[in-house]
Parts: sequence; structure tokens; C-alpha cells
Amino acid sequence: MSQPTGVIHDIGYRHYDGPRLGRGAAAVALGVHSLRGAFGLGRTFKSKIMPFLLFGTMMLPAVVSITIMALLKQVPMGYTDYAVFMQPVIAIFLAAQSPVLVAPDLRHRVIPLYLSRPITIVDYIGAKLVAMIAALLILMVVPLTVQFAGELLIDLPMPLHTHEYLAALGGSLLNAVLLTAIGLTLASFTPRRGLGVASVIAFYMFTLAASAVLTGVLESEGYRDASSWSILLNPFFLVNAVQSNLFGTQPTEGLPFPSGAGPALILLAVVALAVTGLYARYRKALTA
Amino acid sequence: MNTVVASITYRAMLGRKRIWLLALLPIALIAFALLFRFIGGGDESVAVRLMTTFAIGTMLPLLGLIAGTGVIAPEIEDGTIIHLLSKPISRPVIAFTKFVVAASLMVGFSVIPTYAAAYILIGTESGIASGFALGALFAGIAYAAVFLLLGVVSRHAVTIGVIYALVWEGLIGGYVPGARRFSIQQWAQSIADQVTTSAFLKSEVALSFAVPAMVIVVVGSVLWAGQRLRVLSLTGDE
Repeated sequence: MSQPTGVIHDIGYRHYDGPRLGRGAAAVALGVHSLRGAFGLGRTFKSKIMPFLLFGTMMLPAVVSITIMALLKQVPMGYTDYAVFMQPVIAIFLAAQSPVLVAPDLRHRVIPLYLSRPITIVDYIGAKLVAMIAALLILMVVPLTVQFAGELLIDLPMPLHTHEYLAALGGSLLNAVLLTAIGLTLASFTPRRGLGVASVIAFYMFTLAASAVLTGVLESEGYRDASSWSILLNPFFLVNAVQSNLFGTQPTEGLPFPSGAGPALILLAVVALAVTGLYARYRKALTA
Repeated sequence: MNTVVASITYRAMLGRKRIWLLALLPIALIAFALLFRFIGGGDESVAVRLMTTFAIGTMLPLLGLIAGTGVIAPEIEDGTIIHLLSKPISRPVIAFTKFVVAASLMVGFSVIPTYAAAYILIGTESGIASGFALGALFAGIAYAAVFLLLGVVSRHAVTIGVIYALVWEGLIGGYVPGARRFSIQQWAQSIADQVTTSAFLKSEVALSFAVPAMVIVVVGSVLWAGQRLRVLSLTGDE
């Protein structure tokens, strides 16, 4: 194919002239590598402890409700508010693992090296986003599916909760997309892992407390509308509201969520804003 | 106490964009206080709710986490602590200096905003402002010491700290009364309850338990952090 021209400098390295897989395969490889990294696979034992501990905690309610179904023949815990119920665990997973995906590359300033390959900045960000979304989906969907499988096997004297289960799967996808967009963007602003964890969890705890305080006070002062909108500050309640409006399921604890397309629009706007921020961050990392 | 180490640590914590991580939560607290005052919610129950849920329940552990681990953990993470440790300064003195910096940051970013927010809402009524400020002061110092120790002991200090604040104090403390005895938040509320005469605040833990526990935790953590720093080994990044 190419003849060696500079004879003096040709010290006999063999050229690679096999097939080149190109941009798509590189992005897929990066995505798979990031997904494995989110669970600490292929890393040291120490970095596996936290993700698997959190995953185990996520499984606990499913196991408990299968036991309840088997022994007491009672309704299992709701599918649609599994994420709301387990939100601290999901938030800690997001905070602990988002920096794992983005911080090392930024700290060691290797982004330009990635981009010297066929991969583009959009591919890089896309691969990281998809990997984190997949990781969160695994975290949320596996317990739901195990519980549903349990319900199928145990054969309760009541109709199956198939609609709730499917709605919860849709909700999990929305949750994963929203949380990933926020988590990766916040984590990418600092190259240090500890600070990344702190800023993601600070965001979550802020929205948690702000939503609780605002809702309570606005309600007691008689601003019912404002109160029902302020619940949505918490990303888990935002997703739960979209999920109830979209699939017609019961909102958590009968919370008075605003109906209509409002919550869904907020969700889309937040995701778009976060992804734009992430893109801007990596454009800057490229020039720096 | 070493002033040079302290000034370097202050610069690391407050320099450039880092200060926003500390400043945003107090700003939000003041903003909430102004909002509630504006919509006419300036009564005791609102003030106590804002203080317990937001100021003591969220802002204080988060800032403790950011300040306590932030003064030392990033240096250990990227290995620059070696420059500090190779100087002829005793390691316990380094640990104590870092603790003093973290505690002073807690006063600036948590105690003063707590007082200001309560004052905006209800002035000095029932001693709520001073009570919660005093609670925040003691609990802030305790959080700073505990999270400083965590930052020296573990590389996952922030995650472990978050699990303590969210799961232990938030979830388990909500269901299991015994867990509340070992919650810094509850100790802060005991102190606040002692000062304020407001009927809306009920503390769970006796002051006779909270104060000695706090002293033991602070002194023990700082001493242990100093000891751990003497035998710190810098292993490679994961």
C-alpha cells in the first residue's frame, strides 16, 4: 500500500494493514470499557466494593417483597415507586461512580489523545453518557425484574402487576437519562474524584431538602400550586410525576403532582441543559 | 498549629471556583429565608422547619463533608501531600492545623448563615437563631473532625461520609431511635433545644449525652488523624 520513503528513519516497524474498525467500533469499545468501570470490573477489588454494595442494597427490597409474596400471599411493594423509595442508594451510586467515568481522563489530560483517533468529541461524550445510563438501568431494572419474575412464579390470587412493571421500566429509563446527564456534567467540572463525588451528592441533597422545605412551607402558607411544582425540584419526584402522567400510574404516596406536559418539559429542558454543559466542558478540555 | 500550612490550605479551599461548592448552600439557605419572609411565613414553625431540615439536616453535614475531607483528601488523592509530609513539621500538628482550617470554614459558611437565616425569618424570637447557631457551631466542629479523619483513613472518604449522613442519620435515624444517639445532627438539635424556648423543636438526645459525646468524637478524631498521618502510605492511583 504505502512504500517506505524515508529510508534512514525506517527502523523496520511493521505497519498495520489489517481491517480498521473505525469510529463506531471505537465508541462502542469506549462505552463498554466505561460501563465495566462503573461497576469496578477490570479494576482493583477496592473499587468493586462500593458499586456492588450499593447494587446489593438495591436488591434487598425485591428479595424482601418476594419473601412476603411467598409466605403471606400479599401484594408486593409497588414497582412504580421503587426508585423513589430507594433514592438515596441510587443517588449515592450516581455520585460515587460518575467521577470514576469522567475524572481520570480529565486529570491526566488524555482527552486530546482520544481525539487523535477516529473518535470525535460527540462520540466520547455519547459513549460516557450511554455507559452511565446503562449502569443506572442495571441498578434499577434488575431488582424490578427479579421482583416481577418472583410475582410470576409465586402465582398470587390477584391479577399481575404487568402495567406497573412496564411503567416502572419506562420510569427507570427516564430516571437513568436525567440522573446521568446531571451526574456526569457535575462530575466533569472537576478532575478530582473526591470533589466530583461531593458536588454530585451536594446537588442531590440540596434538591432533596429544598423540595421538602419548600413544599411543606408553601403548602402551609396556602400556595397549593407553587407547592405541587416545588416537589419537582427533587429529580426522583420529577421522574415519578412524568411517569404517572405518561403511563397513568399512581404517584408516590398520593403526592399532588402537577398534571399535563409540564413535568415532562422540565425534564427535557434539564437534560438538554446538562448535556450542553457537558459538551461545553469537553470543548474547553480540548483547548486547555 | 502551623500558619503556613493553614494559609496554603485556605488557598486550596477558597481559591478560584472551589469556593462556590462551599458558598452555594449558605446562599440558598438565605434565599429560602428571604422567600419565606416575603410570602409571609415568618413564624416559629417555619423557622424551625427550615433550620432542622435544611440548615442542620442538609447544609451542615454537606459542608462538613466538603470542608472536612476537602482540606486533606485531594492532596492525598493526587499525591502532593508528600511535599507537606516531607517538611520538618510534626504530623499531628499538620492534622490539627487542617482541622482548625476546616472548623473555621464551618463557622464562616455554616454557623453565620444559619444565624442570619433564622434572624431574617423571625429575628431573635424564642432564641431560635442563637440556639441553632450554637448547635451548628458544635456540630460543625464535630463534622469537620470526623470527616477529616475519614479523609485520612480512606480514599472513599466522601462516599462513606455521604452514606453516614444520608443513610445512617437520614434513613436509619428516622426509624430506629437508638441510632439517633450516634448522630451528630441530633446532638446539634439537643444543643439548639437547650437554648431556644420554642415549642416546635423536640430533641431526642439528652444534652448530658450529646456534649461529652461530641467532645470525645472531636478530640479522638483529631488525635487519630494525626496518628494515621504518621504512618500514611501513598499507594498508586486505582
